[in-house]
Amino acid sequence: MERRTLLKASGLVAASGALGSLWALATGAGSSDSARKRARWIRVVDRPTLGETTADYKRFSGNDIFTIYRPLKNQRDGAGSFEAEQASKAKRLAAWTIEKKPGYSLPDRQLSEGAFTVMHSAKPGSGLLSWTRPSVSATEEPVTQRYTASLEEMANTVKAAARLYGAGLVGIAPMNEAYVNLLVPHREQLRKDSPNKDTSQKIQHPLVPGQEGGHPGGEHSAELHRDGEHPCGVHEKDQPQATQPRQDKEIVFEDTDVPAVTDTKFVIPRKMKWVVAIAIPMDLDLLSRAPTALGDTAAALGYSHSAFVVASMAVFIRGLGYEAIPCVNDTAQSIPFAVDAGIGELSRLNKLVTPEFGAGVRLCKVFTDMPMAYDKPVDFGLVEFCKTCKKCAEACPSRALSFDDEPSFKTRGPWNNPGHKAWFEDSYKCYEYWQKTGTGCGICLASCPYTKGDQAWIHEAVKATASNAPATDGAFRVMDDAFGYGKQRDLEQWWTKDHSGRRG
Amino acid sequence: MTNATDVFTITIRRRPWWFWALAVIWLLLEVVIFQTAFASVRESEYRATTICWIAAAVLAGGGVFGWLRRGQAGRPDKWSKQL
Repeated sequence: MERRTLLKASGLVAASGALGSLWALATGAGSSDSARKRARWIRVVDRPTLGETTADYKRFSGNDIFTIYRPLKNQRDGAGSFEAEQASKAKRLAAWTIEKKPGYSLPDRQLSEGAFTVMHSAKPGSGLLSWTRPSVSATEEPVTQRYTASLEEMANTVKAAARLYGAGLVGIAPMNEAYVNLLVPHREQLRKDSPNKDTSQKIQHPLVPGQEGGHPGGEHSAELHRDGEHPCGVHEKDQPQATQPRQDKEIVFEDTDVPAVTDTKFVIPRKMKWVVAIAIPMDLDLLSRAPTALGDTAAALGYSHSAFVVASMAVFIRGLGYEAIPCVNDTAQSIPFAVDAGIGELSRLNKLVTPEFGAGVRLCKVFTDMPMAYDKPVDFGLVEFCKTCKKCAEACPSRALSFDDEPSFKTRGPWNNPGHKAWFEDSYKCYEYWQKTGTGCGICLASCPYTKGDQAWIHEAVKATASNAPATDGAFRVMDDAFGYGKQRDLEQWWTKDHSGRRG
Repeated sequence: MTNATDVFTITIRRRPWWFWALAVIWLLLEVVIFQTAFASVRESEYRATTICWIAAAVLAGGGVFGWLRRGQAGRPDKWSKQL
């Protein structure tokens, strides 16, 4: 090739890249989320990109959710095996904390526990996540009128409020009863992983022997702590146990006016035909430090933000004269609602990936009878990208994610709901890895090439190109590796970095 | 020293159209790469930052070198038109 031709060709390639960046920046209309304009490369489509559900898709048992399925299976298979594992995990975590293992030091673990605080107070159907209106006190104004407007205006009003409260993305999906779980497990009602938990037990700080309450504030209740362990390592199993009534509660749809929670069931009124699906962005800097207590903080914070947003949304909607049921991970499958609401697409992770935040989101939702315009699913070329990329599957230390080229209907365990096409994952392996790390994981979320900050223009250009030209997907995956994206960041550097730019 | 009888020839050459097109692309690329470098620092993507700084420096160096080289007096340039 002549030098002149080569120069011209490279000029053309460079021009497309540079112009693509500018074009991606310039575009910004035609969105399913009208509270925030989305780029044109996010196409609104009539059906989810992996197809609609079939007749095999049934309401899911809350006890098959993988974090609950495994402890229950262990309980069935061998008495106490889960408790033994938890005790061993707690001891390991305590040792790591004492030896100041990066990512597991006392500040690291307490950062995570602090971030979980709101979520731990949010139990399905009560407190923050109450399904019913609070009684009107003397200082509260009783609801005497109902907000009405066009369906689009109603949707925009709700989306604007959700944005204000902290939603990163919000969409409106039609209620689909098949997405709602069959029951709320008693474990979820208690927000505990370990069975036979006595939430009234008081525990002592392990690092200050003989002293009651090493933490500021002194003796504290185990109620706020997750995974059946004190955050500093003392497992509640080491403490005297008391029995507690345990009962799964059915979730039923009835022709009633208001939602209700009784001793035996959760009642959703059939008139609740709208679902406000919400994605809460996770802190990518923390997520990139998974799988450690520091990395877990990103999830913890995401859950707590979710609880705050849906609780606020429920009060807002009730104030407008309608009923609202706030849910975080509980009560129903968040992903299908989010797909139907156009928040993102189902990915190789078998989780939602959004165009804006990648896989770094936590999902939550609010059921309501407030009429609103529905949104539609979106297509930004993710399914084609996932077919080529496979970076998450390669990064997964437990090999829980699928390497199949094409998505299929073949499930891999009871934690997968059949009747829809997906890259199904082995959640059992995933959860086993969680036991080794002592925390959650999140490597797959952080490794996804779509999980990026929004500061660099070039990322927008790359996503726009991938959306329109799947032939470039392989090259972008190679570039993603070359630029070092998706790798675990320095664990100790987080505490010494400049946090002054953080908006809180 | 020059004498009054010395004869000087001033050659004015017009750069071809594609040279200017390349210059615009070069500038755009520099802007995008610099922006990515600064954004990568803010996002704590240190490897991406390093790669972007190197790319920006090489591109800037290449551009300046090419500009000066082409602008040298008396240098034969088959791509430029002599007026």
